[in-house]
Formats: sequence, structure tokens, C-alpha cells
Amino acid sequence: MSALGELGSLRGKKPVGQKKDNLAGYLFLAPWLLGLFLITIGPMVASLYLSFTDYNLIQAPKWIGLENFTRMLSDERLHNSLRVTFTYVFVSVPLQLAIALLLAVVLDRGVRGMAFYRSVFYLPSLLGSSVAIAILWRQVFGTTGLLNQVLDVFGIEGKGWISDPSTALGTLVVLNVWTFGSPMVIFLAGLRQIPTMYYEAASVDGAGVLRRFFSITLPLLTPIIFFNLVLQIIHAFQSFTQAFVVSGGSGGPSDSTMFFTLYLYDRGFGNFDMGYASAMAWFLLVIIGVFTAANFFASKYWVFYDD
Amino acid sequence: MRHIPRGLRALTAAAVTVTLLAASACGGDSGGASSSADGGKVTLRFTWWGSDTRTKLTQQVIDAYQKDHPNVTIKGEFGEWSGYWDKLATTVAANDAPDIIQMDEKYLREYADRGALLDLKKADGLDTGKFEPDTLGAGEFDGGLYGLNAGINSFAVVVNPAAFKTAGVAIPDDKTWTWDDFAKTAAEITTKTGGKVTGTGALGTNEAGLNLWARQNGESLWTKDGKLGVSPEKTTDFFKYILKLRDAKAIPSAEAISQDMNASLDQSAFATGKLAMSFIWSNQLVAFSKATGQQLKLLRIPSPDGQAAKNGSYYKGSMFWSISARSKHQKEAAEFVNYLANNTAAGDVLLAERGVPPNTEVRAEVTPKLKPEDAATAKFIQDIKQDLGDPSPAPPVGGGQVEKIIQRYTTEVLFGRQAPDAAAKAFLNEVNGELK
Amino acid sequence: MTTETLHRSLAARRASGVTWARIRPLVIHVLLAGSALVMLYPVIWMVVSSLRPGNEIFRDPGILIKDLRIENYRVGWHALTEPFTRYLLNSGIVVLGSILGNLVSCSMAAYAFARLEFAGKKFWFAIMLLSIMLPIHVVIVPQYILFSNLGWINTVLPLIVPKLLATDAFFVFLMVQFIRGIPRELDEAARIDGCGKASIFLRIILPLMVPALATTTIFTFIWTWNDFFSQLIYLTDPHMYTVPVALRSFVDSTSSSSWGSMFAMSVVSLVPVFLAFLLGQRFLIKGIATTGIK
Repeated sequence: MSALGELGSLRGKKPVGQKKDNLAGYLFLAPWLLGLFLITIGPMVASLYLSFTDYNLIQAPKWIGLENFTRMLSDERLHNSLRVTFTYVFVSVPLQLAIALLLAVVLDRGVRGMAFYRSVFYLPSLLGSSVAIAILWRQVFGTTGLLNQVLDVFGIEGKGWISDPSTALGTLVVLNVWTFGSPMVIFLAGLRQIPTMYYEAASVDGAGVLRRFFSITLPLLTPIIFFNLVLQIIHAFQSFTQAFVVSGGSGGPSDSTMFFTLYLYDRGFGNFDMGYASAMAWFLLVIIGVFTAANFFASKYWVFYDD
Repeated sequence: MRHIPRGLRALTAAAVTVTLLAASACGGDSGGASSSADGGKVTLRFTWWGSDTRTKLTQQVIDAYQKDHPNVTIKGEFGEWSGYWDKLATTVAANDAPDIIQMDEKYLREYADRGALLDLKKADGLDTGKFEPDTLGAGEFDGGLYGLNAGINSFAVVVNPAAFKTAGVAIPDDKTWTWDDFAKTAAEITTKTGGKVTGTGALGTNEAGLNLWARQNGESLWTKDGKLGVSPEKTTDFFKYILKLRDAKAIPSAEAISQDMNASLDQSAFATGKLAMSFIWSNQLVAFSKATGQQLKLLRIPSPDGQAAKNGSYYKGSMFWSISARSKHQKEAAEFVNYLANNTAAGDVLLAERGVPPNTEVRAEVTPKLKPEDAATAKFIQDIKQDLGDPSPAPPVGGGQVEKIIQRYTTEVLFGRQAPDAAAKAFLNEVNGELK
Repeated sequence: MTTETLHRSLAARRASGVTWARIRPLVIHVLLAGSALVMLYPVIWMVVSSLRPGNEIFRDPGILIKDLRIENYRVGWHALTEPFTRYLLNSGIVVLGSILGNLVSCSMAAYAFARLEFAGKKFWFAIMLLSIMLPIHVVIVPQYILFSNLGWINTVLPLIVPKLLATDAFFVFLMVQFIRGIPRELDEAARIDGCGKASIFLRIILPLMVPALATTTIFTFIWTWNDFFSQLIYLTDPHMYTVPVALRSFVDSTSSSSWGSMFAMSVVSLVPVFLAFLLGQRFLIKGIATTGIK
């Protein structure tokens, strides 16, 4: 918890003359606090407790101490799932955010018909995790899929992108990047908050597109970029649905798309080992917590707040 | 709990008391919402997985039953396969399980061995007298009957006659064919169609192939006392045979096979007409016929020396009816299961949608009304009856994972990432690790 | 800066970029249209598939329709035990409740975190972030037991009440980041005018964070509309089923599936979310940019 205490960005400079206002603070926070104590904490503590037990969902949990955690040390498939997850996080998050930002900036102003393009680019994200995605992905990346047909025109021999263990994860990265709509919308909303007068002034100074982007847009957008980065990393670490749907729940071929959460689910609901799954979940929480804390720590150096 | 601070211990205890123990397994009657009785009126919850076709038919049967039994209300809960099991596990954990549960062999012992299912032998009002004797075995273990066969299935080779015709290859006699004949036929099709159609889908995309292979060699995937019963040698042979099929181009590329393992039935290579043969469960014939638009044919599984009686076939329960051990209306639930299994009126509606009815009387009533594909399946089930081996034991606790595991090792072997003997060893090791 | 220099600099820019300025929109359009097509191919394929007979869907990866059939829509609408309208309605109720809950409770919590100084703020913020780091699969069972003991199974309460209590930290954090982008001088000015905390929140902050509220509305709509797992678990009675649960009931991985109906109803279920997006994104335009403060 001490690492997470380092939430530097929240520190903000206190405006002179503003005193602590505990009553108002807790009143505004009341719904959330109520939810925390009534709904969130109970199940969380329960899962923490379960991580020290042997619990098969049907019979009462049995206390086994640290056994679940020591078992994780020698679980080869778990180690593999960590590798897969880390690769996925570090490749897909930057790619997705870069594309989302680029398109948000392009779609934000200038060209006519932007509302149309915005909607079109968001459409794939609407499909989200529907079963249709699983079918679509095979139609595109399968051995006789669209991609191979296109490659064939250029005389390149395709392959089974989804079914080859060396490329399957890549197709999931593409799937994640393809659904860049959510960060794009958040970027768009953030761009709307940048006062237009900054740009007007820059125009007058003769600043070019690139300079305006780097000296106005980017710095003023950093709180939003930071938000997207933190949340997309958390989200990518927890990534489950897309791999589940595309691999039919198997994490295959050959465990090449076996994300950590997919393996956790497989242990918990597939193998009725909810104690072990809970231990895995808390391990993941520590990993995500460390990354988030590091993010908050680093944000002091690159995120600019107006307050 | 020695190393945990007292404060945390108290907090943990409190939270756990509230959320878990209140509804844990030992609790007798704490499950609130599962079912209710009100002045002789009984509400039963009945859950199944399947597509909309099954849902419609099942709902019809429910409606008919309610008309005859005005004091019983049955709430049908339907859903697709993977969500079904998440939901079932969650509701069982919360002591809120439905009364009547459509069960799969994979999870049968998982629930039964932990006391979540009722022993149907002790249930009032359920009669299994008219059942085909071989069909009860799979739901029977430790002296009790925990799942009642809801439809008979058998593993089989499915043939697309149109593809054989295109290739100019005759469909072999399945009563005498050996694994060598099978490989030869498949390879011949691939060659003669210039690779347009591949001979067959691979074995090893589910555990049934290995089970039959083991049974043909005097072993069995699972033993009756819930252990692995197949040896490393036979498993190695099994993987070697798959490689032999690959090298003869009797099966598609490793990529195509691996892709098919998790494809939906309709999107699979056989359903889209790219294969001349494949391995399926007999009740899938209807769906595959619909998907290919062809009249398909079921053949017996090949055997080592050309004797169909030694090909290790068995009647599998396509699915089972189980009753929750904590149901408050076990008698009413058993009566409804009895209706589903033994009533000809119910059979007339359900026909063979869940597999060929195991009750011989219902089957006789239903057979003339079946669609051609269902009739073909029923006939196949009837035909192989004389060649059946012993019933195959249900997978033990943790054994439900075996399908995913064998898929993974078949992929490894086909891609050449592991040799058959290494894969066999690793496969058995891993399965053993899953068993509890 | 005088008007004269302004004119001069604009004229200079105009001269240097005459041809590029003319071509640029065209280039951007071509690029955008091209990538839009790639993005959209799968979606188009889905719509086309919904117009094909079920068994043709998987034989043809192309997007040309030979004979157009709308019967998938007719059949799919009535294929389950209730007409599809029922599932749309159920989803609608859950979605509306969730949006309302998130807007009210998350904006309140966000205001507290972004603008108010109170003891333990950092601690609670850390707890809030922690609460979304645990994968749902291990909390779902304890949560189900909790709601089941409250007698909430088969009601929309387990889906809506958490939103009313701001359990969705994503949106709290999002709004925090937006509120922090609003110049503090505005609060100060209002405070000097005699506004209390509540009226600063209602009169200054809320109107200025319309883009964030619109984003929250859009996302809550879409995510709740598509959310499968919790709706599957908590709504067990088919009368209560929602769209995602119903959609999956067309598909059975082990036997026959009604793909035509599934695709058709998927398209139907896309319409409300797409409309919500079209409508919601209009509000992304409002905000500080147009009010021109500072």
C-alpha cells in the first residue's frame, strides 16, 4: 500500500486561503464510500481470504496458508501466461493509444465530414466482445481468410494467423488496436477542453501544425493521456474477453494467447480451484498496483495540470 | 492463522461470515430464492444450455407438463455453453442452484463427488426400467446414479459422399476397415482432388479419439475408480498415427487443424466442405448436414485389425439430467425428470434433439417421426449396438480439462514442436496433475 | 500585436501553402476513407451475413449479396421464449439506471477528489483505484452470495445499485482528470461571489465538464449494453434476460446454431448503441472550447 500512497498527481498546489473541508469532502464522497463498504470491500476481503484456502466452489473453503502462493512459483503455465500478458500490454497499449491520439487530433478539426468518420471509427468498438467477433476474426485471419486472399493477390503465401502459435497473439493485438474507439473518444473530449484562443494565438505567431501540436495540444492533453495510459494498462493486464472469445476459451493455440486472467478463469471455473484463482488475482493486483504507482510517480515529471 | 494480525483476522472473519459461510456447503436451508412452496404450489427451476431450437422445444414440453400439473410451475433458464457453467458454479457456490440441471459428462463427477447432486436411485418417482441397459452406466458411480442419460451419442466417422464422388473414391466398408485403410482412403482423396478437398479431419482434437484408441488396445482413458487408464506407449502410438496422417497429407495443415479446434461447428472445415471425412459425435449429424447442405453418412470408427466389434465403441450420454442435492422439491423435480425421460408425449416434442432417446419405448414411438438426418443417427446407434464394448467411465474430478489439454499437445505434435513420445509423457503428466 | 502584422503573417502563410492547402483536405479524405473501409469491413460483413441464409454465411467471406433475405430478422425476433423487444427493453432499463447512477455518483466523488481538501483523500483515492484492479472472476462468487442474501437475484438491483454508489472507478478517475483541467480561477470567482461547495459544483463544474459527462454517458451505455457476465449471472429468469444474454442463446458450440438469427439480432442490437454514440458525440463539442473562457 505504501507504493500507492505515492499518488503524487493528487497533491496539486493548495490555493491560498482554502482550508481543509472534511465535511463537504466526505459528503460528496458519501455515495462512493457507501458503495465501498457495502458492496466492494466484502467480496474483496472474501477473495483475499479465499486465496489462503483450498476452495472448490461447492464445499466449504479449507485454510491452507501460503500453499497457493508457493504453488504459483512452480506453475509453468502461469509463468507462460505472465509472459503472454506482459507482451500484450507493452505492445498493444502504446500502439492503441498512439493511433487513438492521432485519429482524435485529425478528426477534431479541419476537415469536413468528421462526425461521420468519428462514428465509423468508433463502430468496431461497439461490437466489443460479442460472439460475432470470434466469427469475424476467423473470417479475416483464418487459413482461407480475407487477409490471405489479399496477400495471395500480391503473390505472398499466407498462413493460419490465428492458429499458428507464433502469430496468434499478434492477431489479438490487432483486435485491441482495432477497437481504439474508447481512448479516441476520451482524447476527443480532452481536445475540446483546450481553449481555442491558444491555437489562435499560435496561428498568429505563425506556428505550423507540428509545432502547435507539440507546444499546445500535447502538453495540455497530458492529464488525459495520463488517464488513458493508466486505465488502458490496467485494462490490458486484465484483458480477458477478446482472447476468450477468439480462442474459444482455450487460450490456444498452445497457450500462446493464454492471458493471465484467462488462466485464472480456467483455474477458478474450469478446474474448480477458486482458492488458487483468488491467489492469482491478488498477485495480479500487486503487479497492476506497482505499475499504476510507478505511473503516478512518473506523472509528476510529464503531466501538466492547470490548477 | 498465526501470522496474521488480530485486527485483520477479525475483519476477514467478519467479511467471510457475511459473504461465504452464510451460504456455504454445510448450510442446510439458507438458500433463499431457489424455489418456493406456497399452498401446495411448487416452483421448480430448470436450466439447460443449447441454441434457440432446443430452447423452443424444451419450453413446449414445460408448457405441456404445467398443463397436466397445475400445482407445478417450472421456470426454464437457458443459455449458451460457456456462460452456462460459470452461472451454474456461481449459483451452486451460493447455495442457490436450480432444481433440475442439464449436465455434461465433463462436469458430472465434479459436482456429484462434492455432494451437489442428488442420487437419482433414491429419488421418488423416477423410473429407469425402460432404459437401454448400457446407457445408465455413464451416470453411475460410487454406487449411485447422479446423471440420467438424456440422449445417446456415439463417436463416429462422418462422411461427405459428394466429396468421395468428386474424388472418384469408393466409401469403404466400415465393418472391416482398419486404421491403415482409413489413412489410405483419406490420402487418396487429397491426392485425387488435387488438394481441393482433404481426406479427413484429425484425431486428437478431442479426447474421445484417444479413449477409443485406448479401448481398442485393452486400455481406457479413465478407469472406474477415477484414474488415468491409458499408458504412455499407447498415447505415443496415438500421436504417431496422427503424424502418419499428416505426412500422408490425409489431414489438413497443422494450422488448419489447430484453427478448427475452437471453431464453431458451422465454421469448421468439414462444415464448409473442405473435408471428405471427420470425427464427430453422432448427434451432430443434423447440424453438419444443415451446414454442408449434403446428405452425410455415419461410419463406424476404424479398428486395428478390421473387426468392428473390437473398435471400442460405447454409448455416451450426450447430456444428462441431474437434480440438485439441495433442491427443496426433490420429489417434484424427479417427477419432471421422469416425464422428460419416459413420457412419449415429451419424446414426441423433443425427438432426438438431445440425442437418440435411451428409453426404448420412447425411441420406438419417436423413430418414425424423425427427420431423415435424425433417423440416420438413430439407425446408426441401433446398428452398432451389437458391437459395443463396456460403458466408458465418466471423467473423474478434474478430468473435464482433458479436452483442452489434448488439443494443446496435438497442436504441439502437428507443428513439430514436440516428438510423439515426449508429448505423450507431458500430456499424461499434466492430466494427472489436474486430477484431485 | 497589431492588425497589420496579423494580416501580413496570414498572407505569407497563404502564399506558401496555396497548393498544399488545396490538396490537403483531399489527401486526408482519401486516407480516412481508406482506413475507414478497412475498419469497417468486418462490420459490413456482419450486416451482409445477417441478410444471408444461415448455411451460406461461412462459405463466403466476401461482402456481395446474391439474394437478399430479411427472414433472419423475422425469425430471430421470435426465436427465443420472448420476443426480442423484451430483451431490448430489459437492457434499456439496466442501461438507463446505470447511466443515471454513474453521472450522479461519479461526478460527486470526482469533485471531492479533484477540488476539495479533506483528511485521507490520497488514501481513499488509492483504495478506489485498487478496487478496479481485481479481476471480476474472483469477486463474482462472493458478490453473488452477498446479493443473493439480500434477495436481489433476478432484479436489476445488483446491476444498478453499484453504479448509484460510484463503484465504477474508471469514471470517477476520468472526471477527476477533466475537473482538474478546469481553471481554478472560476471556482475562486464563484466562491468570492458567495457560492458554497454545492453550488460551485452544480453551477460551475458540472456545466464545464459536459464533454466528460457525455463520455461517461456514451461509455456507460455501450459497456452496459454489451456487458455479458454480470447480466448472465444476476438475471436468471428468461423474462429478465438482456440483449447480450439473449444473443448468445442463438449459439451452441456443440450442436446446431442459428447464426443467421444471431447476426440479424446483433445488427438490431447495434442500432441503439450506434444512435447513442451519434447523439452523445454531439455533446463532446460543447465545453470550454466554445465558452471561450480564460
